[in-house]
Amino acid sequence: MGTLQQQILETFLAKLAEATVVDAAKIDQLRGLLTEKKKLNADELVRIFSLPPGGDRK
Amino acid sequence: MIKLQSAHIEEIRGIRKLDLDFQEKTFVIYGPNGSGKSGVIDAVEFGLTGEIERLTGRGTKGLSVSEHGPHVDATDPDAAFIKLRVFLPGLGKSATITRRIKSPKKPEIVPADDDVKAAFAEIAEHPEIALSRREIIRFVLVEPTKRSEEVQSLLKLEEIGQTRNALNTAQNRLQTECRNAASHVTSCRETLQRHIETQTLAAKELLEAVNRRRTALDLPPIAELNEDTALDAGLPESAKTVGFNKESALRDLNAFSEAVKGFPDLANREAAAVVADLAQVETDTRLLVALQQRPLIEKGLNLVDGPECPLCDTPWEDEQHLREYLQAKLAKSEEALKLEQSLLTNGTAIADEVARVVGLLLPVKKLAEGQADGDFAQVLTVWASDLEALKTKLATVEGLMALKARLTGDWLDTPKALSDNLKGLGEKVNAKPDQTAALHAQTFLTTAQFRLGDYRGAMRKEQAAKAAWISAKETYDIYCSVCEEKLNTLYGEVQEDFSRFYRELNENDEGQFTAKLTPSEGKLDFEVDFYERGLFPPGAYHSEGHQDGMGVCLYLALMKRLWGLQFTFALLDDVVMSVDAGHRHQFCKLLKVHFPETQFVITTHDRLWAEQIKSAGLVTSKTSVAFHSWTIGTGPLVESGQDIWDEIETGLLKGKVPAAAAALRRHLEYVSHQLADQLGATPRFRADGDYELGELLPSVLARMKKLCGMAADAAQSWGMDAKKKTAVDRKALLSASAGALNVEQWTVNKAVHYNEWANFAAEDFRPVVVAFKDLLGVFVCETCQSWLYVSPKRVNPESLRCGCNSISFNLNPKPNQGGPLEPALLNVSS
Repeated sequence: MGTLQQQILETFLAKLAEATVVDAAKIDQLRGLLTEKKKLNADELVRIFSLPPGGDRK
Repeated sequence: MIKLQSAHIEEIRGIRKLDLDFQEKTFVIYGPNGSGKSGVIDAVEFGLTGEIERLTGRGTKGLSVSEHGPHVDATDPDAAFIKLRVFLPGLGKSATITRRIKSPKKPEIVPADDDVKAAFAEIAEHPEIALSRREIIRFVLVEPTKRSEEVQSLLKLEEIGQTRNALNTAQNRLQTECRNAASHVTSCRETLQRHIETQTLAAKELLEAVNRRRTALDLPPIAELNEDTALDAGLPESAKTVGFNKESALRDLNAFSEAVKGFPDLANREAAAVVADLAQVETDTRLLVALQQRPLIEKGLNLVDGPECPLCDTPWEDEQHLREYLQAKLAKSEEALKLEQSLLTNGTAIADEVARVVGLLLPVKKLAEGQADGDFAQVLTVWASDLEALKTKLATVEGLMALKARLTGDWLDTPKALSDNLKGLGEKVNAKPDQTAALHAQTFLTTAQFRLGDYRGAMRKEQAAKAAWISAKETYDIYCSVCEEKLNTLYGEVQEDFSRFYRELNENDEGQFTAKLTPSEGKLDFEVDFYERGLFPPGAYHSEGHQDGMGVCLYLALMKRLWGLQFTFALLDDVVMSVDAGHRHQFCKLLKVHFPETQFVITTHDRLWAEQIKSAGLVTSKTSVAFHSWTIGTGPLVESGQDIWDEIETGLLKGKVPAAAAALRRHLEYVSHQLADQLGATPRFRADGDYELGELLPSVLARMKKLCGMAADAAQSWGMDAKKKTAVDRKALLSASAGALNVEQWTVNKAVHYNEWANFAAEDFRPVVVAFKDLLGVFVCETCQSWLYVSPKRVNPESLRCGCNSISFNLNPKPNQGGPLEPALLNVSS
């Protein structure tokens, strides 16, 4: 059993994938961001959510 | 987690040098207040986490580990360190960690395997392994919002709170972007509709208007409107520049002129609300400071990347401490946060109106430029630029604060003579000859195409902004719901564990006890049953002892849920004192039954408690230590028993003279202090109480000799010859032992005063040990092995006795032989 934080993260990402409102590429980037050992930055989140569907903005 | 095997501490807090053998078992450190128990807790906590809560927690401003962690007399900061040997159950490995006060973030770990380093790094993130009595209150009696913070902090939930805040900030920001994009779409749509004169932007209506002009130009009608459709398709390239269309221009002018009439009332309600909020800020300077600090602190928090404050460069103990400080400051400004939200809501509403005005203004400005009305065009250019800047200011609290004066009046700052200028421009346009049907149709199509392009672009941006916002919002909502679900489950389990622990602790009087933990946004309500009369806040009816017991139970329940089976280690600093005398046995049982795999290091200043823990089987004499006192020079003085001689002999047999010498020295220090106190010895008085062994031991010997003499004299006065003989024999034995030892001989003297035994060979040192053993034997009851003491202790003693009464010398002579006045208590010379 992981820590509470790990449990929340895994359940959250699974539910986010089920919800389909956020595409897989963004979920991958969110996973990377949320598992980093540093404080989450809102600017980074805005950048990820603003990406066009499927990946990086050209 | 870990199990602690041993600790070697040097120059940390009140400890000079100390070795403790924890044996991976629950361990008790007993000692009176000020004997150095907490110093051990501090040192072990430091060894495992690099922090000392007592120096870095709440109310410790001005204290730091680097400055106040080393012993007060330590001259070399590098000399202050702790070496811990631990077992890592998860890895099945033993390892050592040595951490120096000088470099708390760089422990030396052996073996330096990645998994071992990771295990130590994990435990360093959990300062909650140490619980002190003052911290218990955090969980029980604080207000719900504070409790929530404390429990969140214990469960390491700040990270979750930070993630939630960041997701919320992101979705708020994207929502604002979405609203701005939507305003722009509205503006572009109105501009296009005004041009093509339709009520809606339905494709059919738009194509009807367009095809009518295309037919006039003999261009084929457009059958279908899609994203690539060009309304001016078929026109020669030279005609595709956007030209002047008189009718459309007049409609733009008219729309703007009509809007201008409504300017005095535009968003007045929102502007008044902003002004009222700002007035409140002005009357409450505290609120103003909080409001001004919020963005700065938020920014600072984002920029924290090390132990230096990014805002003022102040060095902190470490990054975590700095972050907690900034977060606490943010939390204090909740009222300011509400005000901020009100200001921003109204500011956004005003900004929407500004966007609409700009949307009406820009076509007119273009028209003025095209009609050679340079002055008016310039006025509109400046105004449009001012309104764009206004829009930006309306989006922040700082910007709104700067706008207070403007928002109390004509906040649009409408240019003077705007209406006249519009009227003049209208007349100029009207004066132009009507356009030919062909030119009208052509400029209609080029203008329509241009405005459709703007509209499409705005829609695409809005679509993207909306998608981003919906993604962010959905993500935030899912995160919140997952957190809520998990935390509710967790709190439910904690509530159940807590109730069970507390019931077991108080099975005699509160066997039906229940409790309720109710989490809500930012709060954690906590109510407990009081003798089945209902649920009440814990401070309502329960005694302080019971409240402390609740704190311990809640801590244990939280730790159990936080760590599960990995909860193998905890430092309980004087925490068990919270449990009143009637429930101690149950407390020991609770630890044994529910936490059989957890090693607790328990300190207590209550000797009886320490003995109860032993008799409950939680610890043995091997896994407990007693500090009888503390001096600044020696640190904690460890109480030792008769088995010390075995320990010394074992050391000598192994050739470990330094270890044996240190043990003998510690034992002598302990015994000298103990006997000086118990027998009422009179060394030269020292105000600091920092007596050296060389000062205490001779005065103890002299005192014992005196007491034996008094006992013999008293026995003689009562005609008790046998008793007199026993007293005389003991006095003689003392003289012989002291003589054999000869405290004044150079070897002993050097050792007593300068501790140079460590340089002896085993065969040289053994006779010294034997001599001291014989000497101290005079002070011990052969039956119960307790140290002799006088009674009463603080006034003229009446007897010299042991714990079991096998030895009991009357010190009072028969009255007619003179009173029991003791010269030694009046005169230091004996």
